[in-house]
Amino acid sequence: MQSTVIKIENLYVDFYIQNQRINSFKDLIMSFGMVSPFEKKKILKGVSLDIKKGECFALMGKNGSGKSTLLRTLAGIITPSSGAIKVEGRIAPMLSIGAGIELELSGYDNIKLIATLMGMNSKEIKETTTFVEQFSELSKADLNMQVKRYSAGMTARLGFSISVAKTPDILIVDEALSVGDIGFQEKCAHRINEIKKSGCSIIYVSHSLVELKRICTHGACLVDGKIALTGPIDEVAAYYESLFH
Amino acid sequence: MISIHALKNFPNLVTAVAVKNMKMKYKNSALGFVWSLLHPLAYLIIFTIVFSNAFPDIERYSLFALIGLMFWTYFNNTINQMMLSIINNASVLKTIAIPKLLFPFSALAAELFTFLLSFIPFFGLMIFFGLNFSSELLLLIPAVIIFSVFSFGAGLFLCTLNVFFRDIGLLWNTLSPAIFYFTPIAYSSKMIPEKYHLIITLNPLYHYIEFMRIILYQNAVPGIQMWLITIGMALCAALIGLLVYHKLKKNFVSFY
Repeated sequence: MQSTVIKIENLYVDFYIQNQRINSFKDLIMSFGMVSPFEKKKILKGVSLDIKKGECFALMGKNGSGKSTLLRTLAGIITPSSGAIKVEGRIAPMLSIGAGIELELSGYDNIKLIATLMGMNSKEIKETTTFVEQFSELSKADLNMQVKRYSAGMTARLGFSISVAKTPDILIVDEALSVGDIGFQEKCAHRINEIKKSGCSIIYVSHSLVELKRICTHGACLVDGKIALTGPIDEVAAYYESLFH
Repeated sequence: MISIHALKNFPNLVTAVAVKNMKMKYKNSALGFVWSLLHPLAYLIIFTIVFSNAFPDIERYSLFALIGLMFWTYFNNTINQMMLSIINNASVLKTIAIPKLLFPFSALAAELFTFLLSFIPFFGLMIFFGLNFSSELLLLIPAVIIFSVFSFGAGLFLCTLNVFFRDIGLLWNTLSPAIFYFTPIAYSSKMIPEKYHLIITLNPLYHYIEFMRIILYQNAVPGIQMWLITIGMALCAALIGLLVYHKLKKNFVSFY
């Protein structure tokens, strides 16, 4: 029996969003306090999931079904309204490639900055820098250049390389593999496999069923903030496809 | 879910983000840091030309105005940078689990560093304008700390509200020139008619500017009442700022 690394129980997440009628102070004052400026929007409505150690878990669902919200809550970025999350180990969230990259700074400066923000110490930052130099295939001259002069693919290479530099206990991937040219995409897939082999659990979000079936063994499908189905990847993928027919 | 490791790492994070802020602020500019000196200097020249004749009662007018301008510039820059710190870093805050307070705090750290650095040339200028040396000048160290705590509280308060209503930033842009002239920076508070004194004392900046002038201009030790007012206001501002921030931070994510 494999041990559970992530246990989510009855998770609810609400967002406060601006009431459509109230967008500025003027509207707020004009409403004489009769209308609350914010309204609650329920995103996740009672999600429960168990993810085992070493498992590669696919998360499917239509746009807006709450996949990214669930991943962000797992990563500790969003505070749940109620419910419990138990995580064992270090999570590396790869929620969007290139987030946090400052276009005005050089590639090297960005590696240092993002690695620091990810909580690395100076030794780990050095290792990350060496890793990125090799993995991204960007030359030293490229890395000394301001990122705003990079092509979109080069920026993606930089972002991806930084996020996979350190092998985490749990890797969260949100549609991240569609970056770079074919050569780099293969390299990314290879690196994900490497991370997987090291015993790390992976939660994978993608709309490409081929990719999901290749990498994952189990999965779940979110419908309107609730888990509609959990099970082996083929079953869940079939269910997900049936949503569109 | 902020681990103990993240707390231990906080000073490193602040340094990294503050350095980034400074690099970004002066990116692609030939003069870079010199700009942070030129801004108050431009005002100082205008003030000296326009007001030193209008206010002949103020001795060493340039020194008098420079003290006010330096602290105003520090305060104004801090508020401006802090207010944008969270919304400008939304993409990072959406993808990495780090304490959000890092960004306003780093904005303050970067401005404080710039301010301290600007002190070196300005100190030379102050000597030129007739600054007297005395042991009282050492009181500047606690004074700057107290003023920074106040600026932090005010900045955090505005920064938090600005996430929900961008009106706050626009409102500040409109109000800050008014506050600038409402605060005795170019003029002395003694010139204000007695009947308006109560209104003037409601402005927290009035107390801080007076406090700095007692130390730097009059070479005196501020009275116990001044200490209590300035420290009290700083603690109140920090407390209100932190309370509002803690109450509202969990709702930030849908407003970035």
